[in-house]
Order: sequence, then C-alpha cells, then structure tokens
Amino acid sequence: MSAIPAAPGADTRDQGRAVPFFRAGRAVFDLSLEGMVWSRRSLLMILLLGLPAPLALLFRIFITRLPPRVGGFDFYGIVIAFYYVRNALPLAALFYATALVADEVEGKTITYLLTRPIQRMSVLAGKFAAYLVTTLALALPAVVLTFFLLTTIRGWSGMGSHVPDLFRDMGVVALTLVTYGAFFTLMGVLLRRPVIPGLLFLFVWELLANAPGYLPRFTITAYLRSLIHHRPPDEGMAEIFAQVLPTALCLEAVGAMIVVFLAGAAWIFSTREYVLDQ
Amino acid sequence: MTATLEYVRASRWYGPVIALNDVTTTVGPGVTGLLGPNGAGKSTFLKLAAGQLAPSQGEVRVLGKAAWGSPELFHRVGVCPETDAFWEGLTGLQFLMALLRLTGFDDAECRRRADHALEQVALTEARDRKIGGYSKGMRQRIKMAQSLAHDPQVLLLDEPLSGMDPVNRRRTVDLVKKLGREGRTVLVSSHILHEVEAMTRRVLLIHNGRILAEGDVREIRDLMDEHPHTVALRARDPRALARAVVGAPHVLSLTFGAEGEWVTVQTARPDEFYSAVVDAAVEAGVSEMYSPDENLESVFKYLVAR
Repeated sequence: MSAIPAAPGADTRDQGRAVPFFRAGRAVFDLSLEGMVWSRRSLLMILLLGLPAPLALLFRIFITRLPPRVGGFDFYGIVIAFYYVRNALPLAALFYATALVADEVEGKTITYLLTRPIQRMSVLAGKFAAYLVTTLALALPAVVLTFFLLTTIRGWSGMGSHVPDLFRDMGVVALTLVTYGAFFTLMGVLLRRPVIPGLLFLFVWELLANAPGYLPRFTITAYLRSLIHHRPPDEGMAEIFAQVLPTALCLEAVGAMIVVFLAGAAWIFSTREYVLDQ
Repeated sequence: MTATLEYVRASRWYGPVIALNDVTTTVGPGVTGLLGPNGAGKSTFLKLAAGQLAPSQGEVRVLGKAAWGSPELFHRVGVCPETDAFWEGLTGLQFLMALLRLTGFDDAECRRRADHALEQVALTEARDRKIGGYSKGMRQRIKMAQSLAHDPQVLLLDEPLSGMDPVNRRRTVDLVKKLGREGRTVLVSSHILHEVEAMTRRVLLIHNGRILAEGDVREIRDLMDEHPHTVALRARDPRALARAVVGAPHVLSLTFGAEGEWVTVQTARPDEFYSAVVDAAVEAGVSEMYSPDENLESVFKYLVAR
C-alpha cells in the first residue's frame, strides 16, 4: 500500500497557493448543503417558516366570521411584517447561522476543514451560501403560498394589483435572512454559546424598534420592516409602524451591516484557533 | 537529514497550563514516532505542525514555511486527527470525495483518488455505507485514507492505530513503514511503545511538554521490558480468544471485562504477543484492541528520575 500518486497530467493544482476562493467556497457549499437540508434543525424550520400557510388556509375557511374590514391582503401584510420579518426569519437565522462554525467545532469535524489548502474565509463563505440557499428554499415557497391563499379569497381578479408587493416582500425576506444571518454568523464565531445572547438580542434589544426618537435606528428590524410597503389596517397595531425610515437609508444601513458583520466574522474565523477537547 | 519539520524554541500554553515547553527539534524524511503518555503534549506538538495552533512563543516551520497561517501547505501535508469525528451521514466515498474537492482536485480525479484510497485501507466494499454505521476500526481507516488521498509529502498521524483490530493494525503499520521508505516525512504519535517500535526506530520522547530524548527506540525498549504490557481486546467470542492465548509463555495474566466482550491480557513480551494474537483474533472476532498507557507512564517516571 502507499499514498496515491496523480494520474499523468491530472494534478493541475498550484501547490504554492491555496485553492482559489470560489472553487473552495463551492466545495464547502456542496459539503454543507446536504447536511443542512437533511438536519433535524430543518424539520423545525419547515414548521416555523411554513406555519403561515395552514393558518392562511384556516383564514380562508373562517373569513366569513371576521369583520368585513379585515381583508386577506391585510392579513398577509401582518404575516409578512410580524411573523416573518420580525420573528420567524430572525429565529431561523439565529438557529442556522450561529451553528455554521459551532456545529463543526462541537462535532470536531472542523479539523478536516482547517487542514485543507483553502483560505478560512472560503469556508465561511461556502457555509453562509449554504445557509442562505436552505433558508430561502424553506421561506420563499411558504411566503408565495400564503400570498396566494390570502389574496385570492374573493377570487383571482384583485390579486394582480398585489403581485408587485409579493416580489418586494420576497426581496425583504431575502434581505432579512442575509442581514440576520450575517449578524448571527458573527455571534457564532465570537461566542462559544451564542443562542441565548441571540434570543436576548431578538426579543429584548430589538424591541427598541418600537421606541420613540432615534433608538429604532440601533436595531436591525426597524430598517427591514420599513422596507415593507403595504401595511396592516390603520388601527390597533398600526401604531408600532409609526416610524417608517426612508427606503434609501434602510438599504444603505442594511448593506453596511451585512458588510461589517460578515467581514468581522471572516476576520475572527480566520485568526482564531480551534482547540478541540479530546 | 533534511529537516521537514522544525521547532525552534517553540512553546505553547493554554492559559496557565504549559502544553509544550521551549521545544527545539527537527524531523526529517522517514517515520518518526512521537512517544509519550496521555497529556504529555503529543497532540499539541502535532497540532502546531498541522497549523491548527499558533506557537505562544518560538517558531514551527513545515517545509520551510510557518505552519500557522499557511493553508497552501496542506497540498503537501496530510493530517490524521485523533478525534473520532465525522460527518456521520456521509458515506466513506462521499467523505473522501468532499475532502479531495477541498484539496483542489476536479471531480474525475477526486473519484479516482477516493477509490484508490478506499482500496488502500480495505474499505472498498464499505464505500457506499454511511460512516455512522462504521466500526471503530473502519472509522480509523477512513480517517487514515483522507490523510493519504492527496499524496502528501508530510503526514501527521495522531494515534492512528487506536481502536484498530489486529489485522488492520498490521496493515496500517505496513502502510506507514512503506510511506516512510518512499521518502515521505511521517510523524506518528502514540502512547504505546510497541506500536511505535513496529513502525520505526526513530522516536521523540515527550513528557510534560518537553522532549526528553530523541533517538533509537531500542534503548527505551530495554527499559520497557521490566514492565508488563497490558492489552485490552474486544471480541465476539472472548472465551475462544482466551483459550488461544492463555497457554503462551509470554502471557502473564488474563482477565475478562465486566461487559463480557473484553479480555485484558498482561504480557512480558508484547512483540511476541502481537504476532501470536493475529490468527486467534480473526477466529474470535476481535473488533477493537487498545493498550492503556500505565506501563509507558512508569517508564517515563523512571527516565525522569534518572
């Protein structure tokens, strides 16, 4: 027995350099995606992100008992703003993104990734891409299904005018997953036990979004919810939407946050030692 | 000897604990055993060379480059970690293919190398089974395969024989020796003198984070002969195993483990025991074999006292 020599001409690697970033990132993506999709975490996330679809079905069935002013599209607005952008998507990001590196460290498989000729940044990039594809694949179909179930209650004729909102909402859903994903990736490489601090951030710190003055600008959710154009009805819960930040400011702020969080995570991951307990 | 691995006044500590203390040494082509009891600093020594840890002080260089922060080195370095950790849902083939892709090979070359590596460690038939269903010995072998598959010039093997059955232990020992003869630098850690002795004569003795001695293993072996060597074997039919070995002159004592599958043997001449046990092990269905390190610890105490 001996090690495996290359077939003639088969080894085209430049051994003086790490494997190119995108090639390495793609290999990490392929390795991570299957594990991520077929995990117990994904089963939970299917329930969490898919929940509005059966609720929308119930809403269709029982709409005749609700006040006539609550329409299907209004209910859809509440689902997007309160359920997805404020709660479910950040929670999905928390549970997936904090685990990108932590799962490999806890499973002690990180050694295999760190003893390959690849830049550590490509490991993080590949894993982040796998997280995005997984969560988008779970969230977007549920959003679309919920939209159709709720906007076609009284027939298909009125639905057409809402389709631009659907596309915009899908964009906000993606942006929410990227932004919170970047934030929780940073927390995941920074902290040994990131889930509790992450939950505190989501359900305590993010409440500042409802505070007066400049305080909402210190949250993530204030920017994301301002990007949702259609609103719930003008009464009741509408007060918490009082502060709508300009779209340009929201996009700039969210873009800056994504860059800063991901760059911070990449820097920490690239310079940190992973000492595994035997 | 051209140095492949160089440690220059290298120290490494974890908070107040010193794992490696001011080590200066070199390792060249061929097989070198890194021998020491558990907690001696073997894994830290290897992890410094594998670029997994940065030295707290001093330098560690591999093939002339700083080991920490040089990922390109892993084109030419293979690492077999001690931890029994895998992506359990992958098959053996998928595991090797994934790691070869991370080493920069295209799919066709990955497949060719993966198949060859599986053949090398006798796992071809199990290649489509999930690693989660592998025995301890098979897991050790697939770990070994991933360290070899990209044809590295330097191999860092952390306790590679741990948990292997006698047949595969012999096969792996032969493989390591062959790799050494091919001119590769192979650094193998173990807490079992006789394991190392089967692979090489050249050893680094490490204890309490310091290199106690470098040189020929036979000198240590002479000391070792004063101490009985303990081997624990897990067998499908432990009584058949006991019957086969109990009458041998080199066997000092034999006890059955509480769970009924384990047999613990004390022997005065480990080499003879390991040679004699192979056939009996196949018949009795031995699936795991390990040696606790108390006897090596006693030799180290003796050496330190000298």
